[in-house]
Amino acid sequence: MLKKIPKWNLVLFVIIVLEILVFGMMNPRFWNTSILLNSFNDFVPIAIIGFFLTLVVITGGIDISGVSIIGLSSVVTGLLSQTAGLNIWAAVVCAVLTGGLCGLLNGVLIAYARVQAMVITLGGMLLYSGIAIVLVGLSGVSTYEGFTGFPESFGQMANGEILGLPNAVIIFFILFLIAYILLHRTRFGRYLYLTGINQNTAEYAGINTKRVMMTAYVLSGLSAGVAGVVLTSYLGSARSDYGAEYLMPILTVVVLGGTLITGGKGGVVGTALASILLGFMQIGLQMAGVATQYIGLATGVLLIVSVAFLGINPDFRLNVKRIITHKQNGG
Amino acid sequence: MGKLKSMKLLILVTIVMMFVAACGSKDEGKSDDGGAKKDKKDIQVVFIPKMTGNAFFESGNDGAQEMAKKVGFKVKYDGAPEGTVANQVQIINSAVNSGADAIAISSVSSDGLNQALKKALDAGVKVVTWDSDVDPKYRSVYVNQGTPEILGKMLVDMAAEQMKNPNDAKKIAWFYSSPTVPDQNAWVDYANKYIKEKYPKWEVVTTQFGDANEQKSLQVGGSILESYPDIDAIICPDSTALPAMAQAAENKGLKAEDVIITGFASPNSMRQFIENGTIHNHGLWDVKDQGALAVYIAYWLAQGNELKVGESIDVPDMGSVKVEPNSIQGYDYTADDSGIIVLPERIVFTKENTNDYNF
Repeated sequence: MLKKIPKWNLVLFVIIVLEILVFGMMNPRFWNTSILLNSFNDFVPIAIIGFFLTLVVITGGIDISGVSIIGLSSVVTGLLSQTAGLNIWAAVVCAVLTGGLCGLLNGVLIAYARVQAMVITLGGMLLYSGIAIVLVGLSGVSTYEGFTGFPESFGQMANGEILGLPNAVIIFFILFLIAYILLHRTRFGRYLYLTGINQNTAEYAGINTKRVMMTAYVLSGLSAGVAGVVLTSYLGSARSDYGAEYLMPILTVVVLGGTLITGGKGGVVGTALASILLGFMQIGLQMAGVATQYIGLATGVLLIVSVAFLGINPDFRLNVKRIITHKQNGG
Repeated sequence: MGKLKSMKLLILVTIVMMFVAACGSKDEGKSDDGGAKKDKKDIQVVFIPKMTGNAFFESGNDGAQEMAKKVGFKVKYDGAPEGTVANQVQIINSAVNSGADAIAISSVSSDGLNQALKKALDAGVKVVTWDSDVDPKYRSVYVNQGTPEILGKMLVDMAAEQMKNPNDAKKIAWFYSSPTVPDQNAWVDYANKYIKEKYPKWEVVTTQFGDANEQKSLQVGGSILESYPDIDAIICPDSTALPAMAQAAENKGLKAEDVIITGFASPNSMRQFIENGTIHNHGLWDVKDQGALAVYIAYWLAQGNELKVGESIDVPDMGSVKVEPNSIQGYDYTADDSGIIVLPERIVFTKENTNDYNF
């Protein structure tokens, strides 16, 4: 039973437990369950994009445009509901779909035109944030302040709670489940892995790898749209610069979660654990008295150390053994 | 087999840790009840700037830390390098979670922090704002650098006193951060009224915005000089716009005799322009005093003192400050426990006194 749990996830889990223990000893308030649960609010957008970025990374691609789609989706929500007077929930659906559309553009160009994913999504990142700023400008609202005055029910989406569980936690688990089922319980999920391991082989095996890849980017775009809506609801206003500071944390949770950046290996459970780990670390360090501006340092160390550890996988050890034995044979 | 054993051990350790954690949270509940009778020295105020690494806010922090040392309480300076709403919300949340007694914040948005501040107030944390205010419903005191009347008049007077004949027709321009930033717009609104009354021949030819971005401000500053070569005065009530405007003028070789540039910025950022003759004067309030006053008021509230509008509070080294009603800033919301403290003085910096200040 235990052997089925990948070792890396277990390591992440242990680190989370250690975090709770150590930070709790530094500031006992950290052991307050409601504080821990409420801290989900501050990293749930990172986790949401992280889940679906994991799918993209498994195919061997990358998508860094998500951080700009957050801002765009937020602005679309604000523009449609506040300026155009659309029902807020209709505006939300449109905003999420806008995210999907951005993902589709990325996906078509990457899968069918075979342009490098990094180039396309870098361009996308600039393009979508540009569109967001233009939209704000068109509506006559200043980029500095953004749209405000959302109805209470919309604010409740991220700020409320159900049965004592903050909605952010529920959103986290719903999106985690969707990503988990897609990746680990469907044929599409298996295709994602196969495409990532070797696209040509997968293609010869009769998998429409282009469509698989494109779908992954669409999902990633949709998830960024959802993250933008969640952030807008949480903060109570829509601005084009939302998400701008999330690029590194998002990549961090995916890599820290054990997904190989070269594709073919990984999973969303790791991403979920890594985002909790990172989120708890942020709040834990703050509660231990570390100033926010220095927390990036700790994140960086964690990332490098963990990737170094990940590097010491069986393949690596085998290689080392080979080199050593080779040398011995040679000598 | 060995592997399985170590796994089992791991799980066991985890469970034990969980238990410890669970016990811990019970203890925490007890200590919370006793929180009200906290020692004064243990009161913690979290001092939050719009962003870190900006001379203005770092100086505010210097003042806050000095006050904390003198009176004997704790001030934690906590801000993120990027001044975004999400970052400030996260910092407020963590301040509340970590058991801070009060926060003193310069807000990046007039309503983006409402939810977070509401949670802070619900948790019993006192909220004081300084420099840039939020919705008055969500804070007790705003430590104000000056009402729109005071600052608007000051801006116009700083420009007028440099003119030989201020009553003649003059072309002036406004240049600050954004069309919706609450404080600066309020000053400029009043200043325009004041111009109409006192200098009716003046004409405001343009109002430009730099979004508090250094690069953009420099571009905008350059374009003002190019589009209006006959401009008489450019007034920049923004700490990013003013140095950028002065830099743009310097790049074009213009001196204070050619075009009057004035506004609000810290003396450290403007000293070089005063010394090389690009500008004659500029103004600001003592931001160190503002930071010190903000954390002291936060500390005072955290002791359980009741705030009443109209009464005065004694502040070490600053004398007694009066709590004014919200209406002096033009707010509709008034309550007994929500007010504004206006800094007692503002400073005009010139060649003579700029070296006396370090912030």
